[in-house]
Amino acid sequence: MTQIALSNLGKKFGSFTALAQMNLTIGDGEFVALLGPSGCGKSTTMNMIAGMVDPTEGDIRFDDRSILDVPMSRRGVGFVFQNYAIFTHMSVRENLAYGLRAQGVSASERNRRVNAMADLLQLTPMLDRRAAGLSVNILQRLAIGRSAVVEPAIFLLDEPLSNVDAAFRSVMRSELKALQRQFSQTLVYVTHDQLEAMTMADRIAVMDHGKLLQVGTPLEIYNNPQDVFVARFIGSPGMNILEGTIASSDEGKLVDLASAGRSAPLALSDRAASQGLPEKVLFGFRPEQVNPDPNGTMALPVNFVERIGARTILHLGGDGLEAKAVLDNQIAMPSIGDVLRFSIDPKMVRLFDPVSGIAIGGDI
Amino acid sequence: MASIRLENICKHYGDVVALDDVSIEVEDNAFFCLFGPPLSGKSTILKIILGLETPDSGSVFIDDRPMNGVSPAQRNVAMVFQNLALFPHMTALQNVRFPLVERKIAEDVIAARVDEVTKKLHMQHILHKPPSQLSGGERQRVAIARALVRDPVAYLMDDPISALDARLREETRVELRRIQREMNQTVIYVTHDQEEAMSVSDQMAIFEHGRVRQVGAPHDLYDAPASTYVAEMLGAPAINLMAAGGTALNAGRPVPQQAVQLGVRPEHLRVLKDGGNTQVSAIEPMGATTILTLKAGAETMKAALHGQPEFQVGESVSLSVDPAQIHFFDKNGDTLVAV
Repeated sequence: MTQIALSNLGKKFGSFTALAQMNLTIGDGEFVALLGPSGCGKSTTMNMIAGMVDPTEGDIRFDDRSILDVPMSRRGVGFVFQNYAIFTHMSVRENLAYGLRAQGVSASERNRRVNAMADLLQLTPMLDRRAAGLSVNILQRLAIGRSAVVEPAIFLLDEPLSNVDAAFRSVMRSELKALQRQFSQTLVYVTHDQLEAMTMADRIAVMDHGKLLQVGTPLEIYNNPQDVFVARFIGSPGMNILEGTIASSDEGKLVDLASAGRSAPLALSDRAASQGLPEKVLFGFRPEQVNPDPNGTMALPVNFVERIGARTILHLGGDGLEAKAVLDNQIAMPSIGDVLRFSIDPKMVRLFDPVSGIAIGGDI
Repeated sequence: MASIRLENICKHYGDVVALDDVSIEVEDNAFFCLFGPPLSGKSTILKIILGLETPDSGSVFIDDRPMNGVSPAQRNVAMVFQNLALFPHMTALQNVRFPLVERKIAEDVIAARVDEVTKKLHMQHILHKPPSQLSGGERQRVAIARALVRDPVAYLMDDPISALDARLREETRVELRRIQREMNQTVIYVTHDQEEAMSVSDQMAIFEHGRVRQVGAPHDLYDAPASTYVAEMLGAPAINLMAAGGTALNAGRPVPQQAVQLGVRPEHLRVLKDGGNTQVSAIEPMGATTILTLKAGAETMKAALHGQPEFQVGESVSLSVDPAQIHFFDKNGDTLVAV
């Protein structure tokens, strides 16, 4: 139960900058996801918190105490990796008890905690089986249990669900969240899967190319991405981004989207209005905000239709002017080759600067 | 390309039944998905079609020709594995050429074929690189190109994109489907991801313990599952199953006498803020949708609502559903035809 503060944290490997200027405070008992594609610096950040890698710049503090000189074994950090690293020659019970034994916990207390953890993670039926023959799903559950059972103040998980199958992944998402609530550890979770971050984390830190781009609650990040990368990375599918040119109409400013048509007049925030708009913008809207509308001012051809259970993803456009629409199956669905005419609620439009990629005017 | 038919295939490993009377018909140029939990028999089917395993009984037909005694090489079926199996010491181009070089095909034929395939897959800019310098998606493309150059009668793919990042998987599955359509291929595809299975396939077979539970187009299986098993395998969050007697949900239509369970998909539940007998016990906002966990007595249900509606944990609500969207199941978990 510890607060983690990263200040100006940086790591260079030779001339390569893995992480630069990372500033993030993770509250006591908070569940924070470090989210980004491979190579974004999320695992490097985690490895520095754990003490496996030393930073080349900045500081890491646990409860206001710098821990840079504290060796890994004394940081009180529990760690779960993608490749679970279970002792396969031991039974499930021995694996769970390993950390407690190393800490010198008494046998009766050890038993109590091992049994409670096995119960929580549904490992009780296989407690006395050797780990060697167990499925990947069970091994990952065991890896989480083995780290959680010693009740570390800080729990670090590096892509713990990327090797398990899809159905099991969704079960583990809710179990991990419940586990963290129960023990109220400070939990840092590294993932490239935005769905895991959205469903589990109190706050998400989105990273790319060694930079922290935005920190916020899942809905803050989803609704008001501060950067075009964040906009595209969050959501399934991510936000549509079309290149456009600002134009004027009787009802105010709008965005000309070339062959895709024109947007409705923009609902500009005071900040965006006073800040002024560049001539060229990136016009962003979420696929689920596409509203099929025979009188809509925008239109794109349908080039692929992907029906997935309750929803259908339409792949629209082509040649650099591509977008996706997510529609409910209840409506009449267009076919490949049809042109979808649609409108976007101006309040749901997000604009970004085409050079810097930064959101224009915050939320408009 | 070719059609593939399996007739009454059985396969045992010792006491373990891997496949139990499996019959499947894959039409020419179809994208056919084998879907089920781990160890339900999907990968064994691929091995039997390839000729790497011999069934205990039953037959495989390729274009109506029985394959009994036909060697894997003569069957000319290509396989793309999950772990790609690229040669690390060769460039992407050498990897793609390999199956043709190995068959001692004339150099001008190889060059023309490789050129055609790599153009279609938009990968000419990566051909000079070794696998270690390629991204996961690019490596995947090399593996597919290597299978495509052979011009086999069909492609078998065993969970080929499960190792990719979530975002890349969403793009690659659409890419695979486009390639299959453009090149008119017969593809048999194994996956354990229901979203991927529904996205790519023309037809899918759902497996349980070595048996086929249902075959059909993905949206037919989703809308009209023949059993609770199939109903639960497709859709996230999973379908709500409730005891036919004693559910808090008003079916709004006569419940058939033999019905033991009702099924309602989370997206078909309507949640009314009217202080009813159901409590909101958890809220998962996901941006495009919001998942509510609802409790009525001992019963738990999930509702998937559009957008970001405002609810509080502990709030009292009531539920309704379009009667046409209710599934009825008998004591065996089989679907009752609507009365």
